[in-house]
Amino acid sequence: MLQIDKLSVLFGRQAVLKDISLQVRPGETLAVIGESGAGKTTLALSVLGLASGARTGSILLDGRELVGRGEEDLRTLRGRELAIVLQSGGEVLHPLVTILDQVAEAVTVHFPVSRDAARAKAGRMLADMGLRAGRQNEYPHRLSGGERQRALLAMALVNNPRLVVLDEPTAALDPRSKAEICALLKTRLADKAALLITHDLGAAAAVADRVAVLYAGRILESGPCRDVFAAPRHPYTRALLRAYPDMGNPKDLQRIPGRTVRNAPGCPFHPRCTQKTAVCAERVPELKPGGADGRAVACHRGGIIPCLEVTGLGKSFDSTPVLTDIDITLYEGETLALVGESGSGKTTLARTLMGLLPADAGQVVLEGNTGIPRKQFYEYIQMVFQNPGEMLSHRLTVREIVREPLDVHGRGSAAEREALVLKTLAEVELPADEDFLGRYPHQISGGEAQRVAVARSLVLAPKIIIADEVTSALDAGAQASVVRLLLELQERRGLALLFITHDLALARKVSDRVIVLQQGRIVESGPSGQVFAAPRHAYTRALLDAIPRVYGY
Amino acid sequence: MRIRRLTVDYGTALLILCSLGFILPRLLPGDPFLAIYGEEALLNMTPETKAAIISSLSLDKPLGEQFAAYWLALLRGDLGWSYFFQAPVLSVIGAFLPWSLLLSGSALVLSTLAGFIAGVESGARRGSRFDNFSFTGLMALGGIPDFFIGALLLLAFAVHWPLFPLGGAVTAYGGKSGWALGADVLRHLALPLASLFAVRLASVYLLTRATVVGLLGSPFIRTARAKGCSAAAIRYRHIGRAALLPIATTAGLHLAHLFAGVLMVEILFGYPGMGALFGKALSARDYPLLQGILLVGTLTVLATNFLVDSLYPILDARVRKTCTSATKQQ
Repeated sequence: MLQIDKLSVLFGRQAVLKDISLQVRPGETLAVIGESGAGKTTLALSVLGLASGARTGSILLDGRELVGRGEEDLRTLRGRELAIVLQSGGEVLHPLVTILDQVAEAVTVHFPVSRDAARAKAGRMLADMGLRAGRQNEYPHRLSGGERQRALLAMALVNNPRLVVLDEPTAALDPRSKAEICALLKTRLADKAALLITHDLGAAAAVADRVAVLYAGRILESGPCRDVFAAPRHPYTRALLRAYPDMGNPKDLQRIPGRTVRNAPGCPFHPRCTQKTAVCAERVPELKPGGADGRAVACHRGGIIPCLEVTGLGKSFDSTPVLTDIDITLYEGETLALVGESGSGKTTLARTLMGLLPADAGQVVLEGNTGIPRKQFYEYIQMVFQNPGEMLSHRLTVREIVREPLDVHGRGSAAEREALVLKTLAEVELPADEDFLGRYPHQISGGEAQRVAVARSLVLAPKIIIADEVTSALDAGAQASVVRLLLELQERRGLALLFITHDLALARKVSDRVIVLQQGRIVESGPSGQVFAAPRHAYTRALLDAIPRVYGY
Repeated sequence: MRIRRLTVDYGTALLILCSLGFILPRLLPGDPFLAIYGEEALLNMTPETKAAIISSLSLDKPLGEQFAAYWLALLRGDLGWSYFFQAPVLSVIGAFLPWSLLLSGSALVLSTLAGFIAGVESGARRGSRFDNFSFTGLMALGGIPDFFIGALLLLAFAVHWPLFPLGGAVTAYGGKSGWALGADVLRHLALPLASLFAVRLASVYLLTRATVVGLLGSPFIRTARAKGCSAAAIRYRHIGRAALLPIATTAGLHLAHLFAGVLMVEILFGYPGMGALFGKALSARDYPLLQGILLVGTLTVLATNFLVDSLYPILDARVRKTCTSATKQQ
């Protein structure tokens, strides 16, 4: 078993890995995921002592300390007890030696066997890896990427090591080769401890039991693979998943805002984090285990925070229940789609949440707080309504409409307000010239009016926006640009969106999770990919079947 | 396939080069007889010899027949008559060539071997004291012309401390045989060999070192380390193996230079090789002999290139592939 404790690797003064602590048990595969430059390869190489940086901390393999061991001592372990599958590509295999001889060399280096015996063993291992005899005497340049990967695997596994480190074993493989390699890894690594280094979340999900997320040299989150991918706790893990195209995630790809800042004080991710507080820039968060589920997250805020928690919400009109027992949790920076046909209670729910209608039962909690004064409440949560034409006062100019919330809340001086109005208009990609600022709602287009409404709701910098059918009055072009705008604001500001719509096709593109409302009750909820691909409730299926399709498939 | 293509290529080159020996004298203005034999030879010639030569070269016949006669002579091994040695050019060259082959051949083999090993050791330990020392030392050595080194060696080890003979290949009239003769030959060989070796060593060393340093960062070196290969195995089985190709290429190319270097060193040490012969032929303006020497030189260079070309696919499987696919396309 591999136990890494407080491992740091320095290249000169630059720390590439900082305080890494990991455990891999026999029979377990731990995936380490992250972007390029996170230190993944350095971690892989450090375990075998192949990285040129200076190591501090401890790496125990079955109780034996690997850090500080002499090169000659390490050499006898490498390839025999701990093996690595190096990142393929370039000349990772010797270009002038046949695959068979290269695998056989791994045997002869460690065991006093004849060349023929070593070759026979190498041949069997290569065949096990799916490289038939006819291909084994080839030189690396005559093999496909998948075959080379198999050869590298055979080379690592030929001495039956206890620990295997794999550095991007599926990079640059076509989907079928990748699937075959993943299946091979799954069976071949079953009795070993394995450290799978990859940026390919799909491969990690296919092969690994547990996953650790590496960012700028630190581990930000770890836990069982399935759980972490289904419900990431660290904002970075979620961002990584959102940037990864997956068949199970219909939402548009989203960028991770900003760029990696090396040696940032405090939490390494805080320069890009949308829910950071003052402490994030000061102290490094510890990787804290979060209970019995085997998960741990390094976040001062305990992971992605729930902005809005609604429990047992009920509402009746004249003793006719309109909403019954509604539970909703909306997390920071996520889009929760609320779908259902007209009359299912969507708008009532939105208005009740906003406090425009009094609730009969239940509780609304904002970032852990209840009973927040009204004014403060609206600094935190804002709503954009269905029809901008009706929602915007036709007696106010664009400037006045956007500035009004600032006036109401008494924010800043007149000059500051003006500046904020201009900045917000720019943010929603509207002109900020005198001509536009002086127009009245009926003088601008529907799409522009909806943007003005969005600007108005954004000007107080709320964390939550309830968007109630915000695009239903718009044509597809204007709708797309408003939706893109909201998603970009989500990337930049970590805006949580409660996206209420009857348009399931639209909900599918914008949401992380979805709630289906029927006659005031939640009948189904879950990750969008799952709900749209495999709906469980008959009502959801009926809603999906009713969608007319442009392409007919 | 590859061998056939190589044979055709080299055969063509050989034909062209040999034909040049026929064409060049005839392209010069004036009498081809004069161009071939030179004016001074003419003065020493009896009319009978002259007539015999003219008829043997078919100089009185049409150009086509002259060309045929030239080739027939060449095929018979008749390179002409050296009037300086009063013997056929071929037999004159035959007497001198083995000494040159011994000198330049052993210089080539020894310097390539030693330069390669020193280069691998130095490159693999780049920045170490051994590397710095040998790099600086051999770089300086490589900058000195071989005949200059030869002159220094001669002054030091043959004149000042007479450990080695001043010149020649064997002690004249020494009457030695067997082991004694062998030792005598080696003693005569030592200084000219050392001066050729020194210069060649530097160039092989520098090239090997640069190649090895370039290969150090190759991913397959890391693979070898990950397998658990020892440092020596990595240096020779992995890095050295990959460095062989460029070394072989330049060793072949350097042979022409070595040939030129041999001339100077042989003249300096009075070593009875092709260099010394060339010097004599030049000063005596023995044109047929000069032509013969040049032809032998050309053949040597061609032969080594052919050897290197045939070595490529053995050294590098990738060359095998490109060649077969290129032939397939044809």
